[in-house]
Amino acid sequence: MITEYLKKLYETIRSVAGITVVLAIVVAILSSIFRGPYIIVNTVVTGGMLALMSIGLALVFGVMNVAQFAHGEYFMIGSLTAYYTFIPIERYLGANPNAALSFLAPLVSILAAFCMGALMGVLSEKLIFYNLRKRSRTNWVMNSFLLTVGISVLLVNGHQLIFGTELKGIVRYWTGRPFCIMDVFVSRDRCYAFILSVLVIGLFWLFMKATRTGRAIRAVSQDETGAQMVGIDLSGIQVLTMALSCGLAGIAGASLLFMFPSYPSVGLDPLYMSWFVIILAGMGNVLGAVVGAFMVALLKVLTMEYIGSGWDFVVPTALIMLILIFKPNGIFGSDVRGVLEQ
Amino acid sequence: MQTTKAKSELNLFDRVLDLLSLKPLGAIGLVILVILPLVPPFNQEYLIRWLCAAALIAAASVSFDFTAGFINIVNFGYYAIVGLGGYTSAILVDRFGISPWIGIFVGALSAGLLGFFLGIVTLRLRGIFAAVMAWFMGLALMGLATKAVWLTRGSLGLRVERLFDSPSNLPYYYVILAMMLVTYVITKGVTRSDMGLAFKAIGQNMDAARTSGINPVYYRIVNFTLSCTLAGLLGGFYAHYYGILTPEMMHTSKTVEVLAVAYIGGRGSLWGGAVVAFPFIYAMEMVRSSLSNLPGLNLILYGLLLILVMIYYSGGFAAFFQQHFSKPKNIILYYLVNGKKTA
Repeated sequence: MITEYLKKLYETIRSVAGITVVLAIVVAILSSIFRGPYIIVNTVVTGGMLALMSIGLALVFGVMNVAQFAHGEYFMIGSLTAYYTFIPIERYLGANPNAALSFLAPLVSILAAFCMGALMGVLSEKLIFYNLRKRSRTNWVMNSFLLTVGISVLLVNGHQLIFGTELKGIVRYWTGRPFCIMDVFVSRDRCYAFILSVLVIGLFWLFMKATRTGRAIRAVSQDETGAQMVGIDLSGIQVLTMALSCGLAGIAGASLLFMFPSYPSVGLDPLYMSWFVIILAGMGNVLGAVVGAFMVALLKVLTMEYIGSGWDFVVPTALIMLILIFKPNGIFGSDVRGVLEQ
Repeated sequence: MQTTKAKSELNLFDRVLDLLSLKPLGAIGLVILVILPLVPPFNQEYLIRWLCAAALIAAASVSFDFTAGFINIVNFGYYAIVGLGGYTSAILVDRFGISPWIGIFVGALSAGLLGFFLGIVTLRLRGIFAAVMAWFMGLALMGLATKAVWLTRGSLGLRVERLFDSPSNLPYYYVILAMMLVTYVITKGVTRSDMGLAFKAIGQNMDAARTSGINPVYYRIVNFTLSCTLAGLLGGFYAHYYGILTPEMMHTSKTVEVLAVAYIGGRGSLWGGAVVAFPFIYAMEMVRSSLSNLPGLNLILYGLLLILVMIYYSGGFAAFFQQHFSKPKNIILYYLVNGKKTA
C-alpha cells in the first residue's frame, strides 16, 4: 500500500510538472536561506491573490472557451466598489467607534465587491457573449477574445468618465501592529488578504468538487454536448461561470485595495500576471492555476531581488514566451487546447 | 493569354489603376485626400495634424489586416513592432548622424527581422496562442524600451530629429499619404496573387491547406515579415514626425486602436480600414474636443462600436459596401465602383 503511494509520488515528481514544482520549491528555499526569509513570505502573500485572479481566468477558459482580456477590469470594478463601500463605513466609524464593526467593515466591502463583480459578469455574459454565441460560433475563440478587448476599452474609459482618473485608495483596512512571521514584518492587511484568499480558494474547491452545480460546471468544461445530453442547463452554467470568475477577480481587487488604489487602468498589471500564470499552468487548468500562481509570484519576487525592480516584467515575459514555444499547453497540461487552436 | 490580351485592350488610365489595385472610386478618394489640406476648413495646422494621425492609423490598419484578415493571426504586439522601427531609426539618427530618410528604412528592416523571427516562433502556435505570443513579445519590447535607459532614455522620452525643417505639417501629410498608398499597393498586390489565396486557405483551415500542398511555414513567415516591415516603416515616420518617442507608444491600447479601425472597416478587405479611418478618427477628435468635460467618451464609443461590429456585423464596413453598393444599375456608377472589366 505504502510502496504503491510512494511509486505514484515518484512518478508524479518525475513528470515535467513535478520537476518544475520541486525546482521552484528548492529555489525558493535556497534564496530565502541566502537572502532572508522575506522572499518566501512575499511569494506566498503575492501568490495567494494572484491565484484568485488566475482561477477565474482559467475557469472561463475551460468552461466557455473565452480568452478573457477584460479580467483586469473586473479587478478594477472590485477595488472601486470596495472603495465606495469602505469609505462611508470608515467615516461612520470615525464618529462612533465600534470594535466589531471596524473588524467587519473590510469584509463587508470585499463581499460587496464580489457581488458587484458577479453582477458585471452576468451582465457581460447576457448582453455580449450570449448574443455572439447565438449569432455565430465560427472562430469563436478569437472573436470572443476581441469582444473582451472591446469590453476592456469600454470599462476602463467608463471608469474614467464617471469616477475620474485620480487614485481612489485607502491606507489600510485593519488597524493594528503588523504581524511578525519568520522575522519579517507583514502588515495585517496582507496577512488577512492571504488568509481570505486561501479561504475563498478552499470554498471554491469545495463548491466545484462537492456540489451538484460544481459538478455540472466541470462537466460542461469537459464536453459541452455531452453535458447538454444529460440535462444540464448550459446557458445557466455559462452565466454562473462568468459570474463566479468575475466575482473572484472582484474579491482580489477589493482585498488588494491598500496596495493597488483604484484608477482606470489599475487592472493591467494583475491581468498580465494572471495571463502568465495560466500560460504557465496550461489554459483552462484550474488546479494548475493555483500552483502556477505561486510559481509566477516566486519568479517575480526573485527578479525583483536579484535583477532589480522594473525587470520583474521583462523576465517573466521572456520565460512565458519560451514556455509558449516549447510547451504550449503549459506544464500541467490542459484539456481544452484543441478547442483554443481554432 | 486571354487575360493579357484583354488587359492590353484597356486604356492607360485603367491599366495604371489595375497595377495599383485601385478602383476608380478609390482613385477619386485618394485625389480628394491629396487636395483636402489645401481647401479652407481643412487648411489649418491642427486639422492637418489630425489628417496625418488618421493616415497613420489607416496605413497601420491596412498592414495589420494583412495578417489578421488573411492568415487569421491577430498580431497583438503590432504597435510594439511599430515602436521598434521608430526607435531603431531614431537611435541610428541620433548616435551616428545618418539622415532620417535612410534611418526609416533601416528601422523598417529591423522590424522586418523581428517579424521574421516572430513568424518562426509562432509557427507551432495557432489562433489565440499566436495572438498571446505576439502580445507578450510586445510587452517584453515595451519593458525593454522602458528599462534600457542608456539607449532609449526610458520614459523620459527620446528626442528625434524631424524629417523636414519646416514647422508646417503639410509635407509630412504627403509623406504619410504616400506611405499609405505604398502599404496598400504592396499588400493588395500580394493578396491578389496566388499567394493571397494560400494565405486565405491557411487562415481558414490550416490542415486542409496543408493537405492540398500549401506549405504553411513559408507563407506564414512571408506574411509576418512583410506586415512587420511595413509596420517598421510607419514607425520610422511616427518617430520623425512627432519628434519624440516614449515607451508608451508601444502600449497594447495603441494596437487596440488599430485593431478597432481594421475590424470596423472590415477584416480581410485591406481597403476597409483605410476608408473608415479618416471619418472615424475625425469624429472621435470632434467628440473629444467638443465634449472635453467628458473625458474618455470617445474611447467608450470606440469600444462600443467594436463590440457591436463584432457581434452584429462581423464583415464591417467593407461587407456592408459590398452588399449594398457594389452592383449599381447606372453604368458610370458601375464603372466607378468596379472599374473596367478585364477578361
